Amino acid sequence: MLLVQLAFRNLFRNGRRTFLTCLLITSSLVVMILMDGLILGMLGVMVGGITQTLEGEAQIYKSGFRDRFDSTLYLASPESILTVLEEDATLTAYAPRVIVPAVIGSSYNTLGGMVYGVDPEKEIATSRLRQALIEGEYLTNNPRGLLMGRLMAEKLEIGIGDRVVLTASAVDNNELVQGLFRVSGIIEFGPKELDESFVFIPIGAAQALFHLGDGLHQIALRFKDFQDANRSDLALAREIQEEGVEFKGWLALQPSVGAMLEMTSYATLIIGVVLFLFASLGVVNSIFMSIYERLYELAIAKAIGTRPAFIGGLILLEAFALAVISCGIGLPIAFCLMTYFAANGLPLGGTMEFSGVVLPGRLYPELVWYQFVQFPLYVILLTVVAAIYPALFAARIAPARSLQKAL
Amino acid sequence: MSIVIETQNLRRCYGRGVTLVAAVNGISVSIEQGEFTAIIGPSGSGKSTLLNLIGGLDQPDEGRVLLQGQDIAGMTGNAISDFRRDHIGFIFQAYNLIPVLSAHENIEYIMLLQGVPKLNRQARVLEMLGLVGLKGLGHRRPAELSGGQQQRVAVARAMASKPDIILADEPTANLDSKTGAELLDLMRQLNAELGLTFLFSTHDQMIMARAQRLVHIKDGVVEQDEVR
Repeated sequence: MLLVQLAFRNLFRNGRRTFLTCLLITSSLVVMILMDGLILGMLGVMVGGITQTLEGEAQIYKSGFRDRFDSTLYLASPESILTVLEEDATLTAYAPRVIVPAVIGSSYNTLGGMVYGVDPEKEIATSRLRQALIEGEYLTNNPRGLLMGRLMAEKLEIGIGDRVVLTASAVDNNELVQGLFRVSGIIEFGPKELDESFVFIPIGAAQALFHLGDGLHQIALRFKDFQDANRSDLALAREIQEEGVEFKGWLALQPSVGAMLEMTSYATLIIGVVLFLFASLGVVNSIFMSIYERLYELAIAKAIGTRPAFIGGLILLEAFALAVISCGIGLPIAFCLMTYFAANGLPLGGTMEFSGVVLPGRLYPELVWYQFVQFPLYVILLTVVAAIYPALFAARIAPARSLQKAL
Repeated sequence: MSIVIETQNLRRCYGRGVTLVAAVNGISVSIEQGEFTAIIGPSGSGKSTLLNLIGGLDQPDEGRVLLQGQDIAGMTGNAISDFRRDHIGFIFQAYNLIPVLSAHENIEYIMLLQGVPKLNRQARVLEMLGLVGLKGLGHRRPAELSGGQQQRVAVARAMASKPDIILADEPTANLDSKTGAELLDLMRQLNAELGLTFLFSTHDQMIMARAQRLVHIKDGVVEQDEVR
């Protein structure tokens, strides 16, 4: 009790120094929380951009299909898989697709691209196809309707209602097949690759045109928790596993995203360590100043019989109290800032494309409970650790020498 | 009378090589229970060093310091801290007190370290405050007390732990002569009435005038041991 009383009273002896040290620790905590929130927000945008635009959080396809998008590798009888998907509780949506490379021609021009045969209704819950529509109408029951990327439409010099001819090889006999469609809508996802190379037609029309029967090239999945897609023990993955069928989560589909996530977590760690290192140096400096200021007093306390451990404990307790006070101030500040920016976003100065993902003009930090529990604990722990050296110094004060020096 | 403190051939040097100086050079002296003794000598004579060695604040290079027959010269860490706490009272020149504690808490502090029960502590603090003439001022922090009052609190704290001896290093150095004389009279009174043993290090004439015994030190050796 005496130790606690002394520690708190000592802290407020030099209010300005305590305030400045608190400010340093508080700022570090607030910056750390904000930075983590922003990184989480950015990762969310990037992962979301990749998984929600078109890819899905996981995919089911015939082994080898994704290597070269070889349209002859398709799921010929996907009914049993679709039944499993229909009943799975971890999923929120799935979308069956036919994907065939084709030559896309207008009256003025021709381009190479990918034809996606999609189920318009299922895509609404699985991808951003519906949201990407910027002109015209979304796909309907019309078997001749077609959605085209804005950049492709510009290159082909066509607009809504114009005719488009798709030419490709039939998957069963490699014979050339052609289909005539009319542009019902223009879409814009953002990434250039998607907007200049992809066209979307109803899945039934695609299956008929490319001689697929009921066959599918890909089934894109969305989960209730997007992290489930990467779980190695996922029951769904085991259930649909049969000869020649592959199930892959978004991390396996996009290894570069995994590398980016790993790199980001390292970067966060490094920045955090540097930040707290500076804060710790500030704390060490401040505590040493307070020790030198009280050298005579500490020497007297020791002379009259205070044990070294008590003196050391006092310094550690002062550091602990300093950190607790700083966290007490920093947490509400961090919470207010995070809440504000989570609602209003942090302006980035315009949209930009990064690794095939379009980052919006504003970044919204993500507020997570651990930022307000783990980070303050780290701050308290690191502050106390930083105070160990000054505490040892204080505990080892030689009374006779210090009394002489201080006078 | 029993011997409280005895030093045997005590030696303490500072510096090394050609700069080696023996601040205390083979001093043997004994202090008996109830003495009011002053170690006197010019600046640099070694009186404060001797007091530090006797109080266990410094380690001798040679010799022994026996307090109630126990050699404290080799004690370190908690052992010497506990020994000082239980057996020696200290009064220093100035700034004796912990500034963030009140006079009452400063006196209580040492008993807290000793593990004295709360009720006993409170009673003893009040008793000590009464003895040094500071009844009713226990709530004041050092900054709210005069220099003389602060030294009185230091005397009270030194007595509170019921030590075998009180060591006072220039206790009047920062006081005006009137306040210094009052403080010395108080200590002399406590010595006479309670039988407390006081050992001073000083060159203050007022202390010398009141001391029963004067140990003259020069260049680290006892030049004269004068009992009045």
